[in-house]
Amino acid sequence: MNEYLIQCRDVCKSFGEKTALDHVSVDIPKGKIFGLLGPNGAGKTTLIRIINRITIPNGGTILFDGRPITQDDVRKIGYLPEERGLYRKMKVGEQAMYFARLKGMSVRDASEELRKWFEKFGIQSWWGKRVEELSKGMAQKVQFIATVVHRPSLLILDEPFSGFDPVNAQIIRDEILKLKDNGATIVLSTHNMESVEELCDNIALINNSHVVISGGVDDIRRKYGNNHFELTYTSQEPVASVPGSYRVLSDKDDSGRHTAVIAIEDGPDRNAVLKSLVDMPIVINSYRELVPRMNDIFIKLVTEE
Amino acid sequence: MNLRTVNVIISREYLTKVRKKSFLLTTFLGPIFFAALCILPSLIMLMAEDRGKKIGVADESGIVMPYMADSKQFDFIDFSDEPADSLKDRYFDLGLDALVLISPLDTVKKSVSVSAYSQKPLSVDVKEALGRNVNNAVEDYRLASYDIKGLKQILEDVKADIPVSTYTMDDSGQEQITSSEVYMIISLVLSIVIYMFIAMFSAMVMQSVIEEKSSRVVEVLISSVNSLELMFGKIIGVAAVALTQFFLWIILTAVIVLAVSPFVGMDVLTASAGMQGEQMDMMAEGFGVDPSMMDPSGMTASIDAISSDSQISAIMSTLGSLNYVEILLSFIIYFVLGYLLYASLFAAIGSAVENEADTQQLQMPVTVPLLLAFFIAFYAFKAPDSQIVFWGSMIPFTSPIVMLARIPFGVPVWELLLSIGLLLVTFVAMAYISAKIYRIGILMYGKKTTFRDLYKWLKLK
Repeated sequence: MNEYLIQCRDVCKSFGEKTALDHVSVDIPKGKIFGLLGPNGAGKTTLIRIINRITIPNGGTILFDGRPITQDDVRKIGYLPEERGLYRKMKVGEQAMYFARLKGMSVRDASEELRKWFEKFGIQSWWGKRVEELSKGMAQKVQFIATVVHRPSLLILDEPFSGFDPVNAQIIRDEILKLKDNGATIVLSTHNMESVEELCDNIALINNSHVVISGGVDDIRRKYGNNHFELTYTSQEPVASVPGSYRVLSDKDDSGRHTAVIAIEDGPDRNAVLKSLVDMPIVINSYRELVPRMNDIFIKLVTEE
Repeated sequence: MNLRTVNVIISREYLTKVRKKSFLLTTFLGPIFFAALCILPSLIMLMAEDRGKKIGVADESGIVMPYMADSKQFDFIDFSDEPADSLKDRYFDLGLDALVLISPLDTVKKSVSVSAYSQKPLSVDVKEALGRNVNNAVEDYRLASYDIKGLKQILEDVKADIPVSTYTMDDSGQEQITSSEVYMIISLVLSIVIYMFIAMFSAMVMQSVIEEKSSRVVEVLISSVNSLELMFGKIIGVAAVALTQFFLWIILTAVIVLAVSPFVGMDVLTASAGMQGEQMDMMAEGFGVDPSMMDPSGMTASIDAISSDSQISAIMSTLGSLNYVEILLSFIIYFVLGYLLYASLFAAIGSAVENEADTQQLQMPVTVPLLLAFFIAFYAFKAPDSQIVFWGSMIPFTSPIVMLARIPFGVPVWELLLSIGLLLVTFVAMAYISAKIYRIGILMYGKKTTFRDLYKWLKLK
């Protein structure tokens, strides 16, 4: 058993003079949700297309479950591209059947499985409708079903929530988690950092054709934490900075109830800082580490480059 | 390539196209429309006639007026007693459509001069009728001036109009009466139909490619199947649509002919086929081939000749002697190969654009040879073995259409095989190039594609 479903090794791709990917190596663990992040034009879509064998890389290899990927493996992938669409004149059911059959499902299998999904989403009545009669959100739902109907072991979802209202976005989010529980590996490419924090186990951030950072979401957030803590306490006087120990970055006084952000300086033990706070003439209500938002890490890494 | 996947693509392409209303309409109305197209021009020519035009004539020569016979079209009114100038002044009071002034007879040249005046420009019909009448008058005057008894009758007797019977013969001494007109019609019909089919269905492939690209279905598709499967699935699917339409047309035409013939009889049908031959002839003349044949008397003569018994038997014999299996077979072979060649090129063009409006420029290098082929084929019946027609039927981009125009006249087997071979090789080469362009093109959005981009895509790995 291989720990990783997809391993990209030194993948390079250039279009003429423009380099899209420069020795990119990414490992996608099995049964997890993997966030593929990066600003527009960083090379995410190119990498996804290479994994899907839509684009042929100039160099490097892609391993699927430990061996070089083949065209047959592509059938085990479900890909929801960012630029997606349906045949406008075709009926919803026929269209979903078409996509399922292209993935190698038999007519019976496809029809059974699709009916299940249509029922699950409560959209059986759409089966005979033409796509042009559907709203954008409705079409997105059909598209999602078409992506997952063949029970892929790898799901690549590029901005899966765009076009959905909050209610439907939640439904899709729940379905993604269910698919993960059933053993699917999911690659999520999105600019929505909240859903990255909520859903992803691991991420890789690509910027300017390179992998800037990759690893577990929690590890990365810790790593980019600046030793900031939030302290809420009750006191007449605000606490003051102690040079060599900690600095108070901000303090909000709400008639005696204070919320302060303190930054512990390098050197002193974290516990020692807490002890010294406890010894002060204040009543501590809470004390917690401030882990940076993915959003902030993203902006920091991308703008620093 | 995964054949099962290609099959799924072919059947989607086929079913969506065949179930379209436009397909059903063209399939069932096509033969009727075709028939109408053959009959309409003569109907329109009959109906577009002036009626009851009033034409004033001031004949100072005194010989022309008796020849100005009234007809349904024209009423000639004699103003010979009035002076020309005052007539012109009174023109608008008289309510005439035209005023014709004929000069006094020039006895030396034995001629008159004629001028016609009208407010609106004179129509060609009126001008021709006037010219005919005046010429008749002057010719008769000149004949009479020779003072030879019965000269007019002699001239009538001398006139000859002898039809040429054409036979083909082979080395075993078999002779067969044939009708050149029938060969011409079949040659023209074949080249028009194959041109239409190739142009129409290649364009359909292009539209289908553009539809997938502009609706952004293509990236979803391309993650399930490879671009080669998608492109050829589409091309084969549309080819199946074309062949379906073709065979339905043959069956429908046969049904229409069989249904109509008991009522009107076979001779009438073949005679009307001859009439259509004349119309096509005239169409060809219209393109500037041989203006001398525009002579209306020549036309009536040949129509007379065609409706005569010997001509009908020639038509029947020719129709009977044609090798329909060979014609049908070569139509299918050349349609399929020519279509494959053009459809793969059109697929590549479609992949490079985002909407149909952008295809204009990129299409040019592909549509020009197609049109050229059509024009060569249109004149192939004049000289089916001439240099230009021969080379046209060999060069792969024009051969499907030009060769079809040559088929009814008989083509040596080696030429057929060579031409088919060349076409096949070119198709494979072009399909390879097209597939490369298509693979890159379908995922390119934004910038308008130029020929340089296409060249760059070709070189991309």
